[in-house]
Amino acid sequence: MSKLVVLVLYMAFFYSLSFGQNYSVLKGIVVDENNQPLTGASILLNPIKTGMVTDINGQFVIDRLPKGSYIIDISFIGYKTHVDTILINKSISYKAQLEVANLSLHEVIVTDNYAENRKKEESLNVEIVNDTYLKQNLGGSLMNSLERLPGVTTIAIGSGQSKPVIRGLGFNRIVVVENNIKHEAQQWGTDHGLEIDQYAVDNIKVIKGPASLMYGSDAIGGVIDMKNRNLPTNNSFGGTLDLTGKTNNNLLGTSISLYGRKNWFFTNARATYINYADYKVPTDSVDIYSYRAALRNNYLRNTAGYEKNLHLTLGIIQNGFQSKLFVSTVNSKSGFFANAHGLEPRNVDAELHDQSNRDINYPYHNVNHLKVVNTTHYNWEHSKLEFDLGYQRNLRQEWSEYVSHGYMPPVFPGSLSFDPELEREFEKYVYSGNVKFSQQVNDKTDWMVGMNGELQDNKIDGRGFIIPEYNQFSLGAFVFAKYSFTERSRIQLGLRYDYGKIETSEYHDWFPSPVVENGSTSLQYLQRAGNIDRSFSNITWSLGYNYDLEHWSLKANIGKSFRIPIAKELAANGVNYHRFSYEVGNSDLSPEISYQLDLGVEYHSKQFAIGATPFLNYFSNYIYLNPSSEFDRLYGNGNQVFYYTESEVFRYGVEVHAHYKLLPNLQLGIISEYVYSEQLSGEKKGFTLPFSPPASIILNLRYQKRKMIFIENAYASFDYRITTLQNDIVPPEETTDGYQVVNLSFGGEIQFKNQKVNISMQVQNLLNTKYFNHTSYYRLINVPEPGRNFIVNVSVPFLGKI
Amino acid sequence: MFYIPVIVFFMLIAACRDDNKVDSEKPYIDISIAGAFPTNCDTIYFGETFLLKMAFSDNVELGAYSIDIHNNFDHHSHSTEVTECNTDPVKNPVNPYVFINDYAIPQGSKEYEINLPISIPEGNDAGLFDNGDYHFFISLTDKEGWSSQKGLSIKMLH
Repeated sequence: MSKLVVLVLYMAFFYSLSFGQNYSVLKGIVVDENNQPLTGASILLNPIKTGMVTDINGQFVIDRLPKGSYIIDISFIGYKTHVDTILINKSISYKAQLEVANLSLHEVIVTDNYAENRKKEESLNVEIVNDTYLKQNLGGSLMNSLERLPGVTTIAIGSGQSKPVIRGLGFNRIVVVENNIKHEAQQWGTDHGLEIDQYAVDNIKVIKGPASLMYGSDAIGGVIDMKNRNLPTNNSFGGTLDLTGKTNNNLLGTSISLYGRKNWFFTNARATYINYADYKVPTDSVDIYSYRAALRNNYLRNTAGYEKNLHLTLGIIQNGFQSKLFVSTVNSKSGFFANAHGLEPRNVDAELHDQSNRDINYPYHNVNHLKVVNTTHYNWEHSKLEFDLGYQRNLRQEWSEYVSHGYMPPVFPGSLSFDPELEREFEKYVYSGNVKFSQQVNDKTDWMVGMNGELQDNKIDGRGFIIPEYNQFSLGAFVFAKYSFTERSRIQLGLRYDYGKIETSEYHDWFPSPVVENGSTSLQYLQRAGNIDRSFSNITWSLGYNYDLEHWSLKANIGKSFRIPIAKELAANGVNYHRFSYEVGNSDLSPEISYQLDLGVEYHSKQFAIGATPFLNYFSNYIYLNPSSEFDRLYGNGNQVFYYTESEVFRYGVEVHAHYKLLPNLQLGIISEYVYSEQLSGEKKGFTLPFSPPASIILNLRYQKRKMIFIENAYASFDYRITTLQNDIVPPEETTDGYQVVNLSFGGEIQFKNQKVNISMQVQNLLNTKYFNHTSYYRLINVPEPGRNFIVNVSVPFLGKI
Repeated sequence: MFYIPVIVFFMLIAACRDDNKVDSEKPYIDISIAGAFPTNCDTIYFGETFLLKMAFSDNVELGAYSIDIHNNFDHHSHSTEVTECNTDPVKNPVNPYVFINDYAIPQGSKEYEINLPISIPEGNDAGLFDNGDYHFFISLTDKEGWSSQKGLSIKMLH
């Protein structure tokens, strides 16, 4: 009954480094009870606050240690934090044993150190958050909860869904990865949210900047990489009950997880149910163009929704071998604001819509995402082999009352295969696989080689047409190496080759349109899309350098990233009823290419830290939906035509974060972000890019105490967010005024006899300020952001022994 | 204070930014000129020709405009105008009238007044067009692709 996690620190061989004899080196390895290296375990050496994270082989090195007595602090999720005092008068090895965490996963406080050190390791700029952060910043959806991170913004669709935007780039320019498999859905759509259950996420890495090297096409703007790392300790079972409530949209949510492990077998199951009503905005009417739609009691009519998710994980863990099978289904249904579906203000049956804030009437959308993923890895002493296999099915439907647009028949004919109320349906089947081999050649050199492949089959249905059915295949291979010149300076470089193929199927209207040819009019079933068959190949590369000093860390990365054009960019040919724009693809587009220079500078001492992450970015051909002055009378039903075109784009920006310890328990912090984009060529030369987030700064005051009366790990945080006006816009956007919002959050852990309860509370938009978010889906029709919102999350962990 | 460098940084960036002189103004549809037709709640008669009259303007150059007339028998859409019109009871369409057309504006125009005669037929092969509530939608672009819309509630009668 190996209930202990054994930490083995092995005597590492030392080579005398050129720095003076007053400095020493500490080297070690962290493994779990099955002699598996613990990757990502966090090592902190006090009082000098020097930290490290164990590498893929569980090893760590801390150099330049002045002689003296230190306190070593080693933590990892699921294991008890190990604290010991060590005396260093020469370069030493150190042996220790860790005790298992016998309460729950939530017992271990994952120090920010893990994140800090991962950030140092990478030459790209990353943000890392864990489930504790998510609960303290819980928003309406996963991206909403991450919005506070510097460089991260969202495109919100109502109160329950949002799309990721990193440094102003979103849609297919951001890759979302869950358990090593790329999450594939209808991310090209403005009204599509991310089908991720935020209760089921325990570790998120946000890569700010192009990361095609490791993640392939689409990672041109950044990556949201989520992993379920938590592994139950041996011969134990447990779980967590989460209860969430929000006042603004009367949300009630619960998520229950149960896990257990017996020797080599472990399992984890989770069920989440969330139900929310229409959300409230601090206004009693919304101006849709010059028409003023009245809102009843500030409720944004028909924005209620629900989410029902199930997850099951089965796992095997043996010496050096681990395999996990994840099965999940994420289901949501939510309404669209009933007074505006498209540009036209819509008449609503106010009696029907306002009889309940919880019902979902037309127009609404529902999404089902099924995912089956297997991740397997073998570990040897200095190498690791990983396999991932994934199957996904995404089904998204938009429903609205049948309204004939253009030449659609005024009364829906009964003889068609689809429901008249089904506006659009997208169904996607995705099969993906990865192989990766990594090896530590010697103390100075690590390398990695890998392949990713993906096959997609996309189907459409419904009365509206925007993109055709298509198949897509992609295959990529990369090699990556890391070399340490000294303990403080290392270089990383990588090279990747990708091949991609996309085939679209032809589509004809289901209704005839009158076509005038040679003076005579005939009724024709118009062809909207032809058979396009394109293939692409590309070489990308990346070169990074890190340099760490006692108080400073510097990083630089330069790389090329790319993105294969998506089906919508190649073959769109229809009216987007959410905007009343007629969108036309261009089958000749080439893969989008981007070059980016990323820098990171950070200074940290005990009292004070400041960091800046500036970047310069150049796209040789940014693919962009360019509004023209034309109208199309046949295909476009008289709507303005938007063409997909390419233009050169130059972007730069910076995130700055700083914190200063005013008092031992009180910290002042600043998080700010800025991005500027300009099109250098093409018809919109001089213009910015769509959905450009305005600059913002968050001034934060945070009080934190290990124990405050009966509350452990008590915290209270005050955020004052200042966002500047955005007048750098492209058609059809509107300039958006700046705003200031105050958010509060506070909470801690309370012990009731043997039961621990975690409570996180928030007040968002404390002053009920009426403001507009430039990148909100509803911005164009002048819907302000949600009003004051009290959020409570209660998390009850429990644990037992088998 | 320590955040001064942060602010200085922001100011530097703001200063470095060249202020682009790009067109960021939408074109304007004016239906308040003398004799403008149709305006909200007006009636258009089948089998007759009416004169579309309104004024367009833009700060740089106008692009094109389109007209879309579709039935609103189910009251699905609302005009963009503040005034409310009397509507007939909701009914199912039998042979509703549809009109979609787009028109060019002479190049280089900053201001343009349309006086466009549009003939509305009595019916088609399927018979007479349905009387009732219709929606008259005008969309205007400028050369850069900015657009403005007007959605008017009208009646169409025989």
